[in-house]
Amino acid sequence: MSNPATEYSLQIDHANVGFGPPNARTEVLSDINLSVTRNEFVAIIGFSGSGKSTLMNLLAGLQPADTGEVRMNGEVVNEPGPSRGILFQNYSLLPWLSVFGNIELAVKQVFPEMDSSARKAHIQHYIDMVSLKGAEWKRPGELSGGMRQRLSLARTLSMRPEVLLLDEPLSALDALTRANLQDEIIRIWEEDRRTVVMITNDVDEAVLMADRIVALTPGPKATLGQSFDVKLDRPRDRTTLNFNDSFKRLRNEVTEYLTAINKEAQRLRVVDDVALPDLAPKELSTF
Amino acid sequence: MSESKLERFKYGLLKAVDVSGFKVLDPLIRLIFREEPRKQSINILKFMITPIVFVLCCFWVWNVVAPRHKTNSGEVPKPAQVWDAAITNQILHTRENEKEEDFEISGQARLARIENLKGRLESATERSKQLKADLEDIQTQATLEQQKQLAPLTAKAEALKTANNEAQQSRASAAKTMSAQVASGKAQVDELLTLLRESNSLKESEKDAEQNLKDELKLLSEKPSVVQQAQVASNAAANEVQHLKKRLDYLTTGNRSVKVEKAVVTTTAALKKLDVAKTSAQILSAAKSVVSGEEKANRISEQSYPRRETIWFQVQRSLFTVFIGFIMAACVAIPVGIMCGLNKIVMACLTPIISIFKPVSPVVWLLIFQIVVGAFFLPDPNSYWLFEFCDALPFIKDLGVNPALIFSACTVAMCAVWPALVNTALGVSSIDQDHLNVARVLKLGLWARLFKIVIPSALPLVFAGLRISLGVGWMVLIAAEALSSSSGLGKYVWDEYQNGASQSFANIIFACFLVGIIGFFLDRLMILLQRSVSFDDGTAVV
Repeated sequence: MSNPATEYSLQIDHANVGFGPPNARTEVLSDINLSVTRNEFVAIIGFSGSGKSTLMNLLAGLQPADTGEVRMNGEVVNEPGPSRGILFQNYSLLPWLSVFGNIELAVKQVFPEMDSSARKAHIQHYIDMVSLKGAEWKRPGELSGGMRQRLSLARTLSMRPEVLLLDEPLSALDALTRANLQDEIIRIWEEDRRTVVMITNDVDEAVLMADRIVALTPGPKATLGQSFDVKLDRPRDRTTLNFNDSFKRLRNEVTEYLTAINKEAQRLRVVDDVALPDLAPKELSTF
Repeated sequence: MSESKLERFKYGLLKAVDVSGFKVLDPLIRLIFREEPRKQSINILKFMITPIVFVLCCFWVWNVVAPRHKTNSGEVPKPAQVWDAAITNQILHTRENEKEEDFEISGQARLARIENLKGRLESATERSKQLKADLEDIQTQATLEQQKQLAPLTAKAEALKTANNEAQQSRASAAKTMSAQVASGKAQVDELLTLLRESNSLKESEKDAEQNLKDELKLLSEKPSVVQQAQVASNAAANEVQHLKKRLDYLTTGNRSVKVEKAVVTTTAALKKLDVAKTSAQILSAAKSVVSGEEKANRISEQSYPRRETIWFQVQRSLFTVFIGFIMAACVAIPVGIMCGLNKIVMACLTPIISIFKPVSPVVWLLIFQIVVGAFFLPDPNSYWLFEFCDALPFIKDLGVNPALIFSACTVAMCAVWPALVNTALGVSSIDQDHLNVARVLKLGLWARLFKIVIPSALPLVFAGLRISLGVGWMVLIAAEALSSSSGLGKYVWDEYQNGASQSFANIIFACFLVGIIGFFLDRLMILLQRSVSFDDGTAVV
């Protein structure tokens, strides 16, 4: 751990990502720098459309950086792999496989040396972990949204990833299910700590779950802004947290900061609307 | 406990009708289980009774319109006649079955059957005689009645004819006189012309009156329906007698065991002769007849009944042909479609070929296959390995696989390959990006990606394509069989068209319904398969 490069579990170094042909290029992410220490829970918070999912794909290796690089344990990441388990926003479950089958596909691929009884126990362990016991042979189509995301989580965890990437995992769920799953993810993480990068658009969620919150400025040319350390004791209890002063202060700080950068961005946004001619409808009653 | 069981049974039934595409029955099942009877009754009225009434209306229109249209092949048959045709076909089939059994039966059972048949033949002959006598009675009575009705009309026609003739003659003589007067200057030419014109128009109207009367006579002198019915009954009885005689024939002299026994008897006689033979010539001839007798016995014992091709045989053969063609199409379409869906270059290469050959008519393909594929079977198609192989297989040997069947199957395959190919390519290329991301994160290899992600995800569309393919194949098959005269429903229709017997037209329409109904069930079968592989809760298009 003396090498400063390997001190961090995950690093983004001056990364830029853009789309489109050279003459009409849209820079989505520009000059992204992020260092995540081992077993840290980082929440990246930003407005919709600011390039959060692109950032996540960059971390996962699904999207290469145009310039700059992403490093994991000091090694450059240039393709996706099971060591960075990603939890997709829209679950990405295979609808023709059962709950068990979906996890089995991942486990078979990542741990080919496992014999069948060990594999079965391994899969069952993760199914139990996300409280899907009893639904092993159901297909994703028969599950509720919350259950689907649980399954997706179980599949990701079953690969025993070093780093867990959560791409707005709870944004498609209703408030109650969401709170439930937040607690569950925190519980699982506390039982078996690992590096987590979560993308979210919910300040409360970020404050509740993360060790550190990093803001993503509104795009285009989104970059990472201020970073807030969350120094609340764990385990955090959502019912008492609402009366906690430092929680409230931090939440307000983050919200104010986000509002400020959003206003700034709107002010800076170049207005290139087509100028409309100054016309008024004719008064028809005069005819 | 039994309540919930009943409930489960009900939902199982509902699911079954849904999956098999008979959703129409849904309200009926719910009504039987007393679920909201009012609502179900309304639904039944709307979606079951109304269509049934509509279809019955169509039948009624058919019944009314058909006899009014005279064609070269006689009247357009009415529904009842088509039904009769169906029954006749069924009778032919059962009779073939009976004769086949008679041919193959042996021993005590054969003798018992002969006794039984003799009795039946007697009563059938009696009945036939009775019906024939009845027919004659009815005929004479009908003729008498007809003559009674016709007599005044005939007299009237005669009278009209003579009157007209007289009128014509008088007009002709008037014209003659007039022309003489014109010649002598007593009358104008115009007057003569007017007279001739009038005479001609009168002649026309007189002819028309005669024709009308003649038509009326013709209509009355047609066979009355009573006679026709009696004739049909008498013919049926005569047919039955014929059939029973034929059966007796197959039970006695035509029976396989009898024939074999006969051959064995000659062989034993020849063997005895061989024992007592002295001269070399005698020995040789006796030995020859022993050998030939043995051969004959062997040959006969392997013989099977020469069946006539009944309608169910044609159906079986058509289904077999379409199945072969469909399998060929699927074997090409699915792999090629997957390649097209995976690789844009392959797709670009195949697009021109698909676009150009897709609209080509099956008739053209049939002719091309007859030439191209036919060349493989030369010089002697019968000894080609494929046909010898097929003749050795059980069941399939009865269908008589021949080059014509292969040509038809190839044509089916050629026309059925396109929908399956295009749909497979579409299914593979439209795979969800999320699923591909999963494959990338898991670092699945090419084969794992293909078999674990791509193919399962494309399967519903692949089956949708196969379903269209089977429909196209079945449609094409009938034309191909008709043209290549490969036994099957297509050839059946074509033969009936060429044959021109009294029931041919009805047989064609019967075949039309049969083709439609079989096609319908094939489609339902494919829906069932499609539903069983679709993972999105059976929302596939019906």
